[in-house]
Amino acid sequence: MTEPAFLVLAAVTVIGSIMALEARDLVYGAVALGVAFLGMAGLFILLDASYVAAFQIAVYIGAVVILILFTVMLVGPAKGEAQMELKRVSLLAAVLVATLIGMGGALASAAAFPGSDVCGGSCDIQSLSRTLLIDYGTQLELLSLVLAAAVIGALTLAKAEKKT
Amino acid sequence: MVAEGIPEIVYYLGFVTVSTIGLVVVLLLLISPKDPRPTPEKHAAFESGQIAAGRGRTRFIVQYYPYLLMFVVYDVVAMFLFAWAVNLRALGAPGTIPILVFMAVLLTPLAYALRLANKPENW
Amino acid sequence: MAEPFPDPIQMTLAIMTSPLFLKIAIFPGLTSIAIIAALLTWLDRKITARVQLRIGPQYVSPLGGILQSFADLIKLAFKELPLPEKADKFFFVMAPVFGMVLAGGLMGLIPFSHETLISNLEIGLPVFLAFVTLSPTLVLLAGWSANSKYPFIGGLRSLFQQTAYEIPLWLSAIGVVMLAGTFNLEKIVLAQSKGWFIVPQALGALLFLITSVAEQERIPFDLPEAEPEVIMGWQAEYTGFFFLAAQGAGFIKLYAFSALFATLYLGGYLGPGPLPPLFWSLLKTIGIVVAVILLRGTFGRVRIDQLLRAGWTILLGLALVNIVITYFIVVGFPTI
Repeated sequence: MTEPAFLVLAAVTVIGSIMALEARDLVYGAVALGVAFLGMAGLFILLDASYVAAFQIAVYIGAVVILILFTVMLVGPAKGEAQMELKRVSLLAAVLVATLIGMGGALASAAAFPGSDVCGGSCDIQSLSRTLLIDYGTQLELLSLVLAAAVIGALTLAKAEKKT
Repeated sequence: MVAEGIPEIVYYLGFVTVSTIGLVVVLLLLISPKDPRPTPEKHAAFESGQIAAGRGRTRFIVQYYPYLLMFVVYDVVAMFLFAWAVNLRALGAPGTIPILVFMAVLLTPLAYALRLANKPENW
Repeated sequence: MAEPFPDPIQMTLAIMTSPLFLKIAIFPGLTSIAIIAALLTWLDRKITARVQLRIGPQYVSPLGGILQSFADLIKLAFKELPLPEKADKFFFVMAPVFGMVLAGGLMGLIPFSHETLISNLEIGLPVFLAFVTLSPTLVLLAGWSANSKYPFIGGLRSLFQQTAYEIPLWLSAIGVVMLAGTFNLEKIVLAQSKGWFIVPQALGALLFLITSVAEQERIPFDLPEAEPEVIMGWQAEYTGFFFLAAQGAGFIKLYAFSALFATLYLGGYLGPGPLPPLFWSLLKTIGIVVAVILLRGTFGRVRIDQLLRAGWTILLGLALVNIVITYFIVVGFPTI
């Protein structure tokens, strides 16, 4: 569990996330988010899920971060942005942290998730595609509806822009 | 246990990164000459010989923004299609029907988007 | 614990002479990438000059000025490196440097031959394409950080162009994955021992070539660095080594994409006879490079709305048609 590669990647992810929140310039924040995603991709590799890591790089860094960057550049520097109310935020954060610690503890005891290691030593790309398309086919269709909704949302934005 | 090839590519990327950054540091500190008589013009933004006016980050190309949103969606779709393509022979019809439905659901808004995009008044 | 502490000099020597280090540092790694990128710059200038009935570089060595780009390299390295005062210095410096690292990183995945493959990843093709998706981020950052008008316009153009052509690039590569049934680039090469994939994948290969030229920002798709329109676009404020890095990354990408094309469609290092596999893969790569360079001498530049519309409608549609065709090939001829 505490192999050095894991420690380095976890540190990259956590520091990247903190910098993404704390960066004074939003562009730096977006890039720090990209670094955090990169650390997460590394964690996926350590979990022997390298296709998910490639997915993480292509979709999250290649597409999501660039969308955030573009939007930040479009909106420009935020001057005098109202601070979020600290108390509520810290309460929410405390709840989240507690949940995360609880989940971490549950993960640590392998008994909590007896079926988590489904494919044993043969976690290859073929079994991934079989699981994704046959075992989780219904979920895939639901996902396609979510993605279609995103496209339609983008089109609605575009049309609304034209009218004004 | 990490998959085959991962350590090599990590070493390779690390080596390339370290040598490129090292080269930049060496160039900046040792080789690149210092200007004995610096002028402010040298560090000004280039605007075809004019003195730079206004903000640098203007002239925003915003009308293609929906394309960017579509890119985020179809990037995900491409990754799922890859996962289907790699095991096409073994999956057969039970694996192909879900991806067909998946693509049908996603190609309908795409067709509508492209119909909108090809109208000249929307440019 | 009984192991004796290794002598540092011996250990360094052992690392330096290990096959992996030689591959990383010399071929197909860093040294060869730098030399080949410089030679490709020369080839690009020379072929374009011939197409335009000029001579091109000719003075810097007896052999048709082949050392011209090395001379340019030395000249650029000794230039002063002024940074624009309003620029965001960190990203301004980091974007071209990491752009070059990323372009060089692509070469770690290309199987030039079994012996010179750096990383035999099981998911080589998606990783190559995932690396490619990172480049618009860096170009956008380069354009934004200069805080100047032309670089910013160029960076935004590059963003829209590269994101529009990534989807058709991925979808056209899917045809090869369907035929080979693997993501591993070396296994894709070996799957072509009965016949190159360019035959069943003629449409896919054409689409892949077009979209990869767009990803490299070369004519006819060089809007982000168009000289007459946006004064080299996102590279406008770069001088000296940073300009070299930005330009060099383009030529390394040309080399990497051509090598990937040879790997996916032209049988990679497979070839007849006593000639080594390395010869065949380099020959095919150079062939594609020359074809792409000839495009530069032949075509004009497209407009950005034409470019985006073509990418999102014609190329994307044809890539989907190619997937359907390939599906029927795979189902109809299970032996291929």
